[in-house]
Amino acid sequence: MIDIIKHTLPNGLRLLIHQDFSTPIASVNLLYNVGAKDENPDKTGFAHLFEHLMFGGSVNIPSFDEPLEHVGGENNAFTNNDYTNYYITLPAENIETAFWLESDRMLSLAFTKKSLDVQRNVVIEEFNQRYLNQPYGDVWLNLRPLAYTAHPYMWATIGKSTDHIKSATLTDVKNFFYSHYAPNNAILCVAGPVEPSHIIELVNKWFGPIEKRNVITRNLPKEPLQTAPRKLEVIRDVPFNAIYKAYHMCNRNHANFATVDLMSDLLSNGKSARLYQHLVKEKQLFSSVNAYITGDIDEGLFIVTGQLYPSTSYSDAESALVDEIALLQNSTVAPYELEKVQNKFESNFTFEETSVLNKAMNLSFYELLGDAKNINLEVERYRSVTPESIRTVAQQILTEKNCSTLYYKSKQ
Amino acid sequence: MLNRTKAPDKIPAAKILIPKVQSSTLPNGAQLIVVEAGTQDVSKIEIIFNAGTRHQSQALSARGAIALLSEGTSAKNSHQIAELFDFYGSFPEHSFDRDFASLTLYSTNKFLDQSLAVFADMLYNPIYPEHELDIFRKKGKQSLIVELEKVVTLARQNFFSSMFGANHPYGTFATPDDFDSLNRDKIIEFHNQYHTSDNCLIILAGKVTDKEIKCVEKMLGSAKFGKEGSVKNQNVPQIGKTPQNVFAQKNEALQSAIRIGKQVVKRNHEDFSKLMILNTVLGGYFGSRLMRNIREDKGYTYGISSALLPFKDTSVFVIGTEVGADFTTSTLREIYSELNRLCTEKIPQSELDLVKSHLTGEVLRNFDGPFAIADSIASLYEYNDMDFSFFERTINTINTITPEQLIDTANKYFGKDDLVESIAGRIVNS
Repeated sequence: MIDIIKHTLPNGLRLLIHQDFSTPIASVNLLYNVGAKDENPDKTGFAHLFEHLMFGGSVNIPSFDEPLEHVGGENNAFTNNDYTNYYITLPAENIETAFWLESDRMLSLAFTKKSLDVQRNVVIEEFNQRYLNQPYGDVWLNLRPLAYTAHPYMWATIGKSTDHIKSATLTDVKNFFYSHYAPNNAILCVAGPVEPSHIIELVNKWFGPIEKRNVITRNLPKEPLQTAPRKLEVIRDVPFNAIYKAYHMCNRNHANFATVDLMSDLLSNGKSARLYQHLVKEKQLFSSVNAYITGDIDEGLFIVTGQLYPSTSYSDAESALVDEIALLQNSTVAPYELEKVQNKFESNFTFEETSVLNKAMNLSFYELLGDAKNINLEVERYRSVTPESIRTVAQQILTEKNCSTLYYKSKQ
Repeated sequence: MLNRTKAPDKIPAAKILIPKVQSSTLPNGAQLIVVEAGTQDVSKIEIIFNAGTRHQSQALSARGAIALLSEGTSAKNSHQIAELFDFYGSFPEHSFDRDFASLTLYSTNKFLDQSLAVFADMLYNPIYPEHELDIFRKKGKQSLIVELEKVVTLARQNFFSSMFGANHPYGTFATPDDFDSLNRDKIIEFHNQYHTSDNCLIILAGKVTDKEIKCVEKMLGSAKFGKEGSVKNQNVPQIGKTPQNVFAQKNEALQSAIRIGKQVVKRNHEDFSKLMILNTVLGGYFGSRLMRNIREDKGYTYGISSALLPFKDTSVFVIGTEVGADFTTSTLREIYSELNRLCTEKIPQSELDLVKSHLTGEVLRNFDGPFAIADSIASLYEYNDMDFSFFERTINTINTITPEQLIDTANKYFGKDDLVESIAGRIVNS
């Protein structure tokens, strides 16, 4: 049970406070409800590039990092398709420094040309380092546009190509800021050894004067129902063949979400899971296998993937994966096996709560989904999944006509 | 009116409270350290052995010995072990490096008894089945072949091989073919000799009570395991050769990986905390000189950093980055210029103050929750049998060091022309 105090400022900023006196460190997490899915299809990678620019100085404070380092703080940020998340950890007594810094960059950025010029290059090098200069690094750049034809999940957070990043202008940057960065589009969570009344007072002081802004209303195209199998083959300079199968699934708030998540756990969470035991250990077709969900807020993907041994043919590899899926559809999972993945979920969940930073991030995310307090219902939600629901949902979504298959082939 | 240009007053951190831990020797000779902290009913138990790759006589036998503990005991096969851990929601893990190998169990306190019973069985009665070893060879070989495609892997391996020599225990790396020749008898021999109760430290951390402590004492602390007194105190050989710079060409690479560095001193040496400060100034935090210059000013890279890597018998100072291939030459020039600046210019007081604040925050972060505390104890013990007084000494140096002293230290370690440079990727001549 995580105790949460909620408070909304008149300008719409949502504040969450969680007390934890077991650490000297406080976490301040600030989530903006803007992600890569809010980008113009011709200017992708922008939400993430923008995240970099948030460190290039704000209207009243030339450097973000230096004053924070001065009080022993650390910070970072990440962007995904749904949202952008900034986080700070620092000795709790200096928490006001975090509010001073975050509120100034919420108020306005410095918008310097130098910062944009440099961060464009930095992000291009990030693109190279993580996606292009790594074996199997561009899988998602190929899989997304295969699985999505309308919804903006069709591009990765890093963007469709480095050309989009190269062409970003200072005007684009300003427009993006004022249409998405606003107190009424943000969630602030503080966790650590703090007094709530003191936090509310400080947050009012620093964030209270920032005016509400007109945030662009999100109106995303809905992904049409897939009606036929999709296949793509790419040939790359990698040593081994790999296969990826992506099935459309429900959104994060859907009643079936926990069922689908546990379905992927049955296949591959832990060494006792089915794919590893059957395909890596018994049949020895793959050197590694995995099944997971993307966990997106809108309708996401259920992924099944494996790296083949040189002696394994694609047809043997794919039928082995499809057989495992058929097993989920044709026979009801034993209560023991379901209980196992439910136990594992609960234990994972408890371990995540050992860090104040994780708690601050998770609370912000649950608030974005609807209500931070729902985090305390999550274990129960997973416990209530039944063997019958697993079978039914597997029959609904794990079909070939709902699937995009990528053969990532070795040139050798 | 709120003045947003002025930072809130800095409140000095209260005197850093170094956590208290309990230490004892168990009846079987194992040392036990207990860290009581945290809010969740979970525990982490780590057993650290002096059983790193430096001790092996055949490549991969140290790794095989620790990795295959979970793959079968006289009572349970690999699948049964995995089922039990998964059902209890527990996570066994292993790790190894040059000096040490460790086996870790994460468990909720609710299932600690049951998971610990399986964990202890792995340690006392492993049988290293040949067919499990086969899968280990096949999987391991394939994943190493993929690793070797990465420029970072090539640059890192060449860096250490050049610095220590390819036959030195700190400079040698397993090859894909080593997996084929890995021999079961060597693994068993290694296990018997090095995974022993008189050669290990057990760290129990979490929201633990007497019940959890008793449970660990009973299951891991009563009966001896391994061959008693079999660990030889091996010193690593001296380095005889002069390190060479290495360049590994990869024609299609978009980026080059760079490693530049040298051997410095062990962590218990009096210069070490000064080196920590210099390393932080140069590349140890986001606002470091290398980051400001090479990322935030020039945009050559997504990230660049430097680090002091502790080994039992030495430490290695290393700068690492991946840069656009076109920027390889310019980056090298800037790195050497920053090193030279440390040796010739006094660090301005304002920058030094910033670094001191950062390092003080880092010390605090070592005490952020039970697992962070356990990890910092583990690494202090591992490298040179130190305890939390290391942090007291570090804080003391941070508070008293002068820019003049730092110039002297920089000259002593970075002033000579003996840095090893390893690059993998492409150099474009502009």
